[in-house]
Amino acid sequence: MSIVLANVISGYEEFMLKSINLTIQKGSYAALIGPNGCGKSTLLKTIGQITKLKSGSITVDDQEIHRLPAKTVARQIAFLPQSPVVPTGISVEQLVGYGRAPHQSLLGIRSRRDVEIVEEALCTSGLYTFKDRALKDLSGGQRQRAFIAMCLAQDTPYIMLDEPTSYLDIRYQYETLDLLQQLNSQGRTVVVVLHDIAQASRYADHLVVMRDGAIFAEGTPHEVVSPSLVSSVYEINTSVYADPVSQTPVVTPV
Amino acid sequence: MSVVSEASGAQWRADFKSHRSTKAFRIQMLLLFSCVAVSLLSLGVGAVNIPLDVILNSLFNLDGQKQTYIIWKSRLPRVLIALLAGASLAVSGVIVQAIIRNPLASPKIMGINSGAALAALGTVMFLPNVPVTYLPVAAALGGIVAAVVVLFAAHLRQVSPARLALVGIAVGMVCDAGVDYLLVTAATLEISNPLVWLTGSLWARTWVHVQSIWLPLIGLLGLTMVLSYQLDLQQLGDQTARGLGQSTNKMRLLLLGVATLLASISVGVVGVIGFIGLMSPHISRSLVGGRHRLLLPTAALVGALLVVLADAVGRAIAPPLEVSAGILSAMLGAPYFIWIMSRSQKGQST
Repeated sequence: MSIVLANVISGYEEFMLKSINLTIQKGSYAALIGPNGCGKSTLLKTIGQITKLKSGSITVDDQEIHRLPAKTVARQIAFLPQSPVVPTGISVEQLVGYGRAPHQSLLGIRSRRDVEIVEEALCTSGLYTFKDRALKDLSGGQRQRAFIAMCLAQDTPYIMLDEPTSYLDIRYQYETLDLLQQLNSQGRTVVVVLHDIAQASRYADHLVVMRDGAIFAEGTPHEVVSPSLVSSVYEINTSVYADPVSQTPVVTPV
Repeated sequence: MSVVSEASGAQWRADFKSHRSTKAFRIQMLLLFSCVAVSLLSLGVGAVNIPLDVILNSLFNLDGQKQTYIIWKSRLPRVLIALLAGASLAVSGVIVQAIIRNPLASPKIMGINSGAALAALGTVMFLPNVPVTYLPVAAALGGIVAAVVVLFAAHLRQVSPARLALVGIAVGMVCDAGVDYLLVTAATLEISNPLVWLTGSLWARTWVHVQSIWLPLIGLLGLTMVLSYQLDLQQLGDQTARGLGQSTNKMRLLLLGVATLLASISVGVVGVIGFIGLMSPHISRSLVGGRHRLLLPTAALVGALLVVLADAVGRAIAPPLEVSAGILSAMLGAPYFIWIMSRSQKGQST
């Protein structure tokens, strides 16, 4: 059980992914890293069926998802864009409720089960006390948690997040990553685009390093992160040392 | 399967019961009551003032003094058209704002109103034998053509909201220029009627007009209510909506089609009352929040109320002369609109 990409090409005229082959094991916490414009976001969007596949195939648990309707895919994969639109006049509970959309009819009428799952997602994300607050009134970190709770309510085995830590201060960055780790330990597969190599190394068990629309290297953080990798991908000279707390690689320029 | 639907039915009933005790429900009831009250008053004002008891006698065929001819032949169709057109313009505005996700968005910004106005005016001036019942059809065609041009020009890769708005403004300007051209090149005598209609007037609207628009408008309003949850998802942005399993491009086309028809059919019968489509959604959002299941009926009531009120006041100011509802709705609504905006700005300081 896993996500398998075979010869995947997608994107637009000025930027294309170059025939990606990748396997993401079920139960892993995978991070896509690489310089700006390397295609990590495009790759994540392609897996989440936000961007259309040009050629190749994506199979999730032995189903070719690019042939399935959007709603069926949304029951397998939850996708959170980089800076989601914050709607006006919507409460936290209502936003999380939209996570049930793929399980509902066109009319979006809630079942008892929907109500229970939304409540559970609010509790897991620590937002239960905020549930009646307007989304617009929350801080950036709380908002991000609300959007993650929405993905949680989607009740999918796979969750994809595009740079979930950008625009957050350090506390909320780690809070977000911790929440994702918690979801991962409960059995969900998490795929996340990150910029910070140290954060990615600390949390992910599978790093996918991209450059120029192709996968440059992949493996565990210890296998992948090295001064030579960083210099060939980001074109800066660095030294790599072990994080004193997590013993995972940290990169610092020399 | 039956167990599941039973459970969801129970939840639906529970949701509906709790809705009846909410602030939103009270606001909707208040708006509904206001619409009825203002409509009744509106039947009484104009060149001949009719007291309320006479209105009720005439409407329900009760004993006593009646003014059946004026009420039934002249004012009732007018009030019905005002209610329908107001509701349709407002709902069209809600749809366009959910899709474009910009507070300035309205059917006007999509070029719809202007396209409809140009087509209707062109029909009046070049095909004078076309009966008035076909004007909404001409306007609807004009609105659709404008919307299709906007979509094609914006649809280079995907329909992006910002591009829709920019191209919409450009197409709208071209249509407005066309309207101005038709007006300045026409003989003076021919344009006084179209000119009144262009400012958004209900003058001389009769049952013929009601007959030609009620069915499509009610149908489209109903369809919009069915799609209210999909509007909620649209409002979350393209990527989030798609992540939640909506076929966003198809849904957006359907919703834009509905918005185009609602606005342009209304323009075909009452002219350009552009401000309703911008104002009503904002007023309603500040009253009941952003969920379309509540927002749509509220906006429809607000739009209907504004147009009926504007039409009534327009007739009451200086009878037998009339001030256009389009002019008055802007004058009545704008101060309230500005107040709402300044208040909600404070609320969103984060």
